[in-house]
Amino acid sequence: MSNILLVEDDPDIRHLVSYRLTRAGFTVTEAADGVTALHEARGEPPDLIILDVRMPRMSGLEVCRELRAGARTALVPIIMLTARARQQDLEQAYAAGATDYVVKPFSPRELVDRVETVLARVTG
Amino acid sequence: MLGVFTLVIAVLVVIVAGTSVAIIAVRVLRQARHRRIAALAAGPRRALLNFVADNGEQGGPDLVAIPDEAWQAAEPGALALLGKLRGEAHRALVSVFLRRGVARRALGNLHSRSRVRRAKAAQVLGDLELRQAVPELCRLLTDRHLEVRVVAVRALGRIGDPAAAWRLIAALDRSDQIPSLLATHTLVQLGPEAEVTLSAALDHPQARVRAVCLDALGLLGAAGSVHRIARVLTEDGTLDVRVAAAANLGKLGTRAGLEPLTAALTPATRPTALRTAAAKALGDLGATSAVPALAALLDDEQFWVAHEAAHALRRLGPAGQDALRAVIEQEAGRARSAGVGAHARPSSAAGHAREALALAAVAAAAHEMATVG
Repeated sequence: MSNILLVEDDPDIRHLVSYRLTRAGFTVTEAADGVTALHEARGEPPDLIILDVRMPRMSGLEVCRELRAGARTALVPIIMLTARARQQDLEQAYAAGATDYVVKPFSPRELVDRVETVLARVTG
Repeated sequence: MLGVFTLVIAVLVVIVAGTSVAIIAVRVLRQARHRRIAALAAGPRRALLNFVADNGEQGGPDLVAIPDEAWQAAEPGALALLGKLRGEAHRALVSVFLRRGVARRALGNLHSRSRVRRAKAAQVLGDLELRQAVPELCRLLTDRHLEVRVVAVRALGRIGDPAAAWRLIAALDRSDQIPSLLATHTLVQLGPEAEVTLSAALDHPQARVRAVCLDALGLLGAAGSVHRIARVLTEDGTLDVRVAAAANLGKLGTRAGLEPLTAALTPATRPTALRTAAAKALGDLGATSAVPALAALLDDEQFWVAHEAAHALRRLGPAGQDALRAVIEQEAGRARSAGVGAHARPSSAAGHAREALALAAVAAAAHEMATVG
């Protein structure tokens, strides 16, 4: 059973995604901002991180860069979740170290599918 | 005199104290109201989220049965959620809203005297993706307030009904306009079925309308309109529109764009903006048969024409980059035969070629680093 760290400041979206992931058999840890997310990820690195881009205290892109710079979290796959869908936003996310990118409005089912695909690719 | 002064001070103290008490009372009442609304909304919100998370498979009748007061407390949060979801979760949420009469109320509010209400109603109908609302939303395209028009355009884009295309194009023609970029984006959201309308609008008397439609066709990848766009490139009376036609022919990337774009490069008496756009578009097109025409422009008198030609050659890959190297070698050969060697002053053609090749080398190195990383 894989551990997912879900980082999202909107409590409704967090509840929704967490519910779907739990039903799909994942163990979910939630964080409402970037600083808490870094703390959680460094303490017990998850198998995958779902990371919102626009958050209070620290943006998702900053969190992503910090995670990539850390020895224990450098290889954890990160799926960015954001309403920004321009080409330059995608490029920024990938440059920061994102593994995949999901644009809002999003389908929770598709997000779970992406999580499964990324994890399958990583575990090979 | 002292008595009057004391009286004035006393009145002021009473006014200040009264105002303070009133401010505190309003704040306390407001906080109590917020707490009451939050408490009322908590139950419906949780039920709604679980319903959406289950893709609407369980709990629908319970949501419809929620008392109106509690539902109204939860509705703003639920409406915000609507704009963030799609797929089954979105459909589940929409079904609840429809059963609770939200769409009916929003349709009514489109006629409200308040612009805020009209805009909010348009936003809700767009988030509900309600096709039945398209005629009413199209009516708002001529609203006297820009904010309402902008929200209506966005809502039409979210609904994505191509039937709205001609109304949107007609709205571009008015003096109280909608922003061009927003209109382009929305026309693209209407999908490939809007292509026929967009293509027909290339005959519109207003240049701005033609330019917006060209951009939308390019972004839609409307390959079926290439010949029509090529005609705009050669025949349109407005330079900006011809430039837009060139850029979008490049974006579409079909072979049919090659001949009109190459023809737009010469003679040198053509407008520089058009020749520059055509050179850039040939690079976007990706046809290596454009290499000789582009290479011939490297020593063009117009800096930007030569600059774009060099970068178009760079983007055309090995064939284009060979042409750039050939220009540099030719110049080196000439310098050797003239006996000036490395002290020769570089020609502008070789300068453009060197710059483009340097950029290609940087891109290749970055790609290599990313691959290794």
